[in-house]
Amino acid sequence: MLMSKIKEALGALGLEQVAEGDYAKTGCHLEVKAKPEQMPAVAQALLGADCFLESVTALDLVESFTLVYHFANFWELCRTVVHATLPKDAAAPTISHVYPGADWYEREVYDLFGIQFAGHPNLKRLLLPEDADFHPLLKSFAAAEAKAND
Amino acid sequence: MIELGIEEKTYTLNLGPQHPSTHGVLRVLLEMEGEFITKAEPVIGYGHRAHEHMAENRNYHQFLPNMGRVDYLHALAYNQGYCMAVEKLMGIVVPERAEFIRVITSELNRISSHLLWLGAYLLDLGAFTPILYCFDDRENILDLLDRITGSRLTYCFYRFGGVPQDLDEEFITGTRAFIKRLRRRFHDYDNLVTKNIIFIKRTRDVGVFTREQAVRYGLTGPTLRGSGIAYDIRKSEPYSAYPRFNFEIPVGERGDVMDRYLVRVREMEQSLRIIEQALDKLPDGPVMAEKVPKRIKPAEGEVYQAVETARGEFGCYIVSKGDIKPYRIKLRVPSFGNLSILPEAAVDTLVADLVAILGSFDVVVPEIDR
Repeated sequence: MLMSKIKEALGALGLEQVAEGDYAKTGCHLEVKAKPEQMPAVAQALLGADCFLESVTALDLVESFTLVYHFANFWELCRTVVHATLPKDAAAPTISHVYPGADWYEREVYDLFGIQFAGHPNLKRLLLPEDADFHPLLKSFAAAEAKAND
Repeated sequence: MIELGIEEKTYTLNLGPQHPSTHGVLRVLLEMEGEFITKAEPVIGYGHRAHEHMAENRNYHQFLPNMGRVDYLHALAYNQGYCMAVEKLMGIVVPERAEFIRVITSELNRISSHLLWLGAYLLDLGAFTPILYCFDDRENILDLLDRITGSRLTYCFYRFGGVPQDLDEEFITGTRAFIKRLRRRFHDYDNLVTKNIIFIKRTRDVGVFTREQAVRYGLTGPTLRGSGIAYDIRKSEPYSAYPRFNFEIPVGERGDVMDRYLVRVREMEQSLRIIEQALDKLPDGPVMAEKVPKRIKPAEGEVYQAVETARGEFGCYIVSKGDIKPYRIKLRVPSFGNLSILPEAAVDTLVADLVAILGSFDVVVPEIDR
């Protein structure tokens, strides 16, 4: 069983939470809470279970960020979501050396939220122009102001 | 400026953003040594419309039309993914007939997407004729879908709780006639393309993706299945009415460009099978759920809903804070993950092969840019 295999692998890492989720409601079988600095180890464990990275994104919760990683598997249905709370001024370690596919996802998060990923080989804007001076998915961002600055 | 660390023996070649083979505004910066590529860097974002930002500034209903504009070639799959995510959040149960109608229209849309890819891809490779045939067939689908959805391309047809309009007799007979017609046409395509020696030479053993690369880059869709992994959300994580139909997941063996071509062509046949079964088994009943709240205001929570689009896995991740507007919507689009393998895949290939590889992803650039 893939789920117990992942649980076992993540259990050894001392994470805040590794719990079964309500799949019918949230679409995720495993809900994990980790610290950002544990993410490379979490990614390594999931790669060991042959999972692939579905997406990396962030939530701006005003007083802090939450990084959200989704992993799934090609051979057996088991989606793992990992939430990692990140203080506003902190940098998260990259997982792009584990999953090269994370390279672009992290660049996108940097682009849209301004979150730094320590150790990322090429952290620069991906979707917005190189000279943009705003991060549009921050809750403090207002489109009208950015326009006025043009 | 984009720094490539150029050495003296190499030179930079700029492919795009306006280039016929990039299908939209995609730029690829190439570092060349003679005729061979030593480094490739895709530059994306030219068509960034900030759909995710728009989502935070409008209510759930108002965001529906955006879904037809992310991937304009398989818009109905995006409609479906978003509607299903909201339905999951709200606990809305969609009537059986509506699910069937969603499957029929979405599969028709998938075929139209694949047909356009087939024509345009062969155009990339220098074969002009197939696109004329493909557009002829695709036109039939556009007419059929136009009849019930009211638009030809940027569909906004599904609603939370079902579909707004039932199928009529003319659509059903028209679709049946189309299935018959397209099955005959597959023979023509086969003769025209699959056995063409130039096509085979351009695609066999070009752009091979291994199983291990697929996992590390998170490839999905035909790009993945060409490498022999039978991961299709319609089967792997069944949704809507798909579990009720018999169909196969075509996979490739070698993982090259040719295999990805074969997967897509065979997938069209499977889509026809699904549509045929859905029309045969089409149940009676309403097409909209009763008691769908006028104001969509989900309780606090989050949901991830994946659907299989023509290009791979579309994941709709919605976070609700109990407001009438979503707190955050993340659109996990397949071409984004698929294209990120290009820098690795392009090394040591010729520019002509790069065009063959790039086309084999079936990229829709506005989908990557969002």
